[in-house]
Amino acid sequence: TLLAASGDGDSIKVFVRVRPLTQGTGLTTDGDQSLCLMVTSPSTIRLLSKPEPRTFTYDHVADMDTSQDAVFNSVAKNIVESCINGYNGTIFAYGQTGSGKTFTMLGPSELDNFTDELRGVIPRSFEYLFFLINQEVERSPKSKRFLCKCSFIEIYNEQIYDLLDTASASLFLRENIKKGVFVEGAVEKFVSSAPEAYQVLSMGWRNRRVASTSMNRESSRSHAVFTMTLESKETINEVVNIRMSQLNLVDLAGSERQKDTHTEGSRLKEASSINRSLMCLGQVIMALVDVSNGKNRHICYRDSKLTFLLRDSLGGNAKTYIIANVHPGSKCFGETLSTLHFAQRAKLIKNKAVINEDTQGNVR
Amino acid sequence: MASLNSDEWRAICDKFTNALRLTDTESRNDPENDPFRSKYNARELLREIYCSLKSFEGGDGEEETGPDSSNQPPPEQPVDGQREDAFTQGFCGDSPEGMRAAKLGAVEYYLGVNHVETEELSAGQEHLMNCMKLLDRCRVSSENVSLGIHVRNQLGILWAGRDETETAQGFLETAESIYQQYMKEDGTPPTDMTEYFSAEESMLTHQERTKKFELAYTHTMYYLAQVYQNLGQTERAATYCHSTLQRQLQLNQFNPMEWALNAATLSQYYITKGRYMEGRHCLAAATVISGLAGDAPSEAAAQESKHLCDRERERREHLRQKRAEIARCWIKYCLNLMQDAKKLLEDNIGELDTDRQDELKRERRRQEEEEEKGRKTTLLFGSEDTFDSITSVEEKVLCLIPLDFTEARAVFLVGQNYVTQAKEYFQMDGYVTDHIEILQDHSALFQGLAFFEEDLERRCKMHKRRVDMLEPICNDLNSQYYLLIRRQLMFELAEIYNEMMDLKLTLANSQTDSQSLDNHTIKKCNHLCAASAKHYQMFLDSMCSPDGKSPEHLEEEVLRPALVARFRVARLHSKLISSLPTVQLDNLNKSLENYKYVVQYCETHPEAAAAAETELELSKEMVGLLPLKINRIKARMAANN
Repeated sequence: TLLAASGDGDSIKVFVRVRPLTQGTGLTTDGDQSLCLMVTSPSTIRLLSKPEPRTFTYDHVADMDTSQDAVFNSVAKNIVESCINGYNGTIFAYGQTGSGKTFTMLGPSELDNFTDELRGVIPRSFEYLFFLINQEVERSPKSKRFLCKCSFIEIYNEQIYDLLDTASASLFLRENIKKGVFVEGAVEKFVSSAPEAYQVLSMGWRNRRVASTSMNRESSRSHAVFTMTLESKETINEVVNIRMSQLNLVDLAGSERQKDTHTEGSRLKEASSINRSLMCLGQVIMALVDVSNGKNRHICYRDSKLTFLLRDSLGGNAKTYIIANVHPGSKCFGETLSTLHFAQRAKLIKNKAVINEDTQGNVR
Repeated sequence: MASLNSDEWRAICDKFTNALRLTDTESRNDPENDPFRSKYNARELLREIYCSLKSFEGGDGEEETGPDSSNQPPPEQPVDGQREDAFTQGFCGDSPEGMRAAKLGAVEYYLGVNHVETEELSAGQEHLMNCMKLLDRCRVSSENVSLGIHVRNQLGILWAGRDETETAQGFLETAESIYQQYMKEDGTPPTDMTEYFSAEESMLTHQERTKKFELAYTHTMYYLAQVYQNLGQTERAATYCHSTLQRQLQLNQFNPMEWALNAATLSQYYITKGRYMEGRHCLAAATVISGLAGDAPSEAAAQESKHLCDRERERREHLRQKRAEIARCWIKYCLNLMQDAKKLLEDNIGELDTDRQDELKRERRRQEEEEEKGRKTTLLFGSEDTFDSITSVEEKVLCLIPLDFTEARAVFLVGQNYVTQAKEYFQMDGYVTDHIEILQDHSALFQGLAFFEEDLERRCKMHKRRVDMLEPICNDLNSQYYLLIRRQLMFELAEIYNEMMDLKLTLANSQTDSQSLDNHTIKKCNHLCAASAKHYQMFLDSMCSPDGKSPEHLEEEVLRPALVARFRVARLHSKLISSLPTVQLDNLNKSLENYKYVVQYCETHPEAAAAAETELELSKEMVGLLPLKINRIKARMAANN
C-alpha cells in the first residue's frame, strides 16, 4: 500500500477525500454544478483560486469515485495492525458540515447492515481488528488472550460528557503514571466482536449534540471520541506479558464551528458582555511569551480538552491519520480552503522531545 | 422647526430602553434555530427611533446626510487619521446642532453594532461610519466624547476581523488620543450614550459616568494590545496588556482570579525578556489579587469539601488549581534567575569564574544606587489598598541575578517553597505531566544551586537529591504514553550521574597524591559511571524500533542528544576502572564501538557534524588512539599466557 511506502518517519499522515456533488440533501451547494477544485494526482489537489490556482500536497488525495474499501485500506488498515502490536493509533475526521465526514467514518446514516459496500472506516476497522485478534488467538490458543473495552465521549464547550451514560454530569480528564491520560468515570463496555462494538458506537452516536445553524442544516457542534482499549496477555513459560494499546476514532465538530481555535487569524477578541471580564487578554499575552530563546516559562492557560486527551496522538509515538473531507462545490470554496490549510498545518505538528541538555563546553 | 412634544419624546425613550433590553438580556435566551430574533426586534425599534428623530427635528433643511440621502458624496477611505481640529472646529458639543448630531449618531452607533452582531458587517460598517460623520461635525466635548471612543472601538474590531489591521489601528489610536486630550483639556465626567434617551430623573451620577467612560477606554487599550500583537510589535503589545491590567485594577473593574492569571502570564513574558523586576512585580500582584478571589482551601479543607455541593466544590477546586498555576510561574521566575546567573558566571569548563563574580559584584553596587530611579519609571500595579501587600510579597525575593552562594540559596529556597505549593495541587496521581514538570524544575533549581557550592562533597549530595526525585519516576512511567518525558528524564539522570562521577574523581584525586585510588572510591566511581552509561543507553534504546534496531536516520530534535549520548557512553566505558585485562578489553571495545558510531554517522549524514562538533572531533581522535591501547592490552594478555 501507499502507507507502507511512505515509511514510519512521520507520525501524522493526512488523507484528503473529495465527496461527490449532491442533490437534494439540503446543502447550500444544491444545484450548483461548478467545481472549485481538481484532483491532479493521488497526492495533489488543485484549488481553483483567483488569480492563480493553488496546488496542495498530502499523503493521499482521494477523488469523488474512491470506494470506502480503498479509504479503509489507505487510512486504517495499517493503524489497526499496529494496535494489535501494542501501538496506539488515532484517526481524525475533519471538515465542513456536509463534506462527508460521517459517510467516511460510519457510512450511510440509515445503515445497520455490516456487509454493505458503503459501510465506513469505523465498521471496517472493527471487523479487521477482530479478524486479527481471532487470527492471533488461533495461532497460539493457549498462551494469548485479548480484552477489548470501548468508551465514547463528547467534548462540547470544553466540557466532557459520556455518550454511553447521558445521565452523568460532565467528567474530568486525569492522568495516571501507568494509564496515561483518561476520562475519569467514563463508562467502559466490554466487547468481544465487531457487531458488539458497532452497537456501542451507534448507541452513543444517537446521543450526540447536534443543532441546526444559521445556514439551516444539521451540524455537529461537539467533538466525539470513540476509544477502544485493547489489552493483550501473553503467557510464555509462566511469564505474563501484558500489552495495552488504544485505537481512537475522532469525529471533530464541523470545521465551521471551530472559529474559536486556530482558524481565527487576526480577529480581535472582544470584551465580554460582563464588564469585568477581559478573559482573552491572557491569550494575547500568551502569544507574546516566547519559547524560542530557550527560557523556561509556564503558561497558565491550558490546552483544549481535546488536544490534552489526544496529545499522545499529536506527534507522540502513536500512529495518526487525519482524514480531511472537502466538498468540491464552488460555493464551498472558503471552507474548503480553510480545511486544506488546516490539513497542511496538521502535517507540521510534532511533539518535540526537548532534552534538557547542558550545551557544549562541558566535555572534560 | 418641528419638535417633539414630551409624550413623543417619552415614547422614543421607552423604545430605546426596550431596544437595549432586547439586545443585552433577551438575546441570550434566543433559540438555537433563530439566534438573532431579539436583535432583529431591537433593530426595528432603533430604526423607528431614527425616523422619528429625523422627521421631527430635521427641520433646518440645509444639509441632509442621513443614510437615505441620495446626493451623498462617494464613500471616502475609512481611515481615521488623527484629527487635530477635533477640539477646535465644528459645532459646539452642547449646541442644539451638536446634541442632535450626537443623538442621531448614537442611534447609528447602536444600529451599526446590531448589524455587526448579526453578521451583516458591511451594513454595520456603514452605520458606524455615519455615526463618525455626524460626530465629525462637532467639537469633541463632554457630550460626545464617550460615543466617539465607542464607535472607534467598534470600527477597530470590525476592520481587524477583515485582516485590515492597520485600518483598525488607525481608529483605535485616534480613540486613544481623543481620550488623552479630553482628559487633559476637560476631564469632567462625560455623558454616556444611553443618557441621550433617558428621562431627566434617570440620569447617571458623576461616578457612574466616569466608570463607563473609563471602561470604554480600557477596552481601547485591550484592543490595541491585540492589534499590536497581530502586527508583531510584541513589546508595544506587552505595554498595552500591562496598561489594561493596571486600569482594571485601579478602576476596580476585574475578576480577581482572571486578573491574577493574566498578570502571572505577563510575568512570563518579562522573564523571557530577562526583565526580572517587572516579572516579579507581576507575580507579586498576581499572588495578592488571587487572594481576593476567596479562601485558599487547604488540602484538608478540600477533603472536607466532599460534603459540599458540586458547584461549590468545583469552584474551590478551580481556585486551588489557579493558585498552583501562579506558584508555577514563580518557580520559573526563580529558575530563570538561577540559570541566568550560571550563564553569566561560568568559565569555559562550566565552573564559577571568580574574577567575573567580583566584577559583577562591583557593577551591582552601582546598579543598586540606580534602582530607585529605575523603579519609578516602571509602570507599577496597585490600587491604594493593594500596593503595600504587593510590595511586601516582592520583598521576599531578589530581582537581581544572584552572584554568590548566599544569594543563590535565597532564590532557591523561595523556588522550592513554590514547588511544594504547586505539588500540593498537581499531584502525581491525576496530573502526571504537570507533576513531573514541577519535579524537573525542582531538579533544575538544585542544579543551579550546586553551581555555587564550593564544597564538592556537598555539591555531590545536591545532585544525589536530584537523582532521588527523578529516578523512581523514570522507572515507573509508562513508556508508551510518556515516551517523550521519559526520554528527558533518562537523559537528565545520565547527566547527573556523569557529573557525580566527575566530582568523585576530582575529590579523590585531590585527596591522594598518587594516582592510586582506594577500593572504596573505585567501586563508587564505577557504580556512578555504570549508572550514567545505563541511562544514556536507555535513552538511545528508546529510539530503537520494536525489534531493537537503532534508527538509520535521527530526527532533528534528537540528533544532538543522541550523538552526545553515544559519545558519553564511549567516554564512560573508557573511564571504568578494572584490574582484569579481559574486562578492560571489553570496556575499551565498547568505547571504541560508540566513538566509531559518532564518526560514521557524521560521515553518512554530513549535516549532523555541525550539531556535535566537539564530540565529533574528540571521537575521531579516539578512534585513532583506542586501537593502539586495545592492542597493547591484547599483547600483554598474550605475553602473560
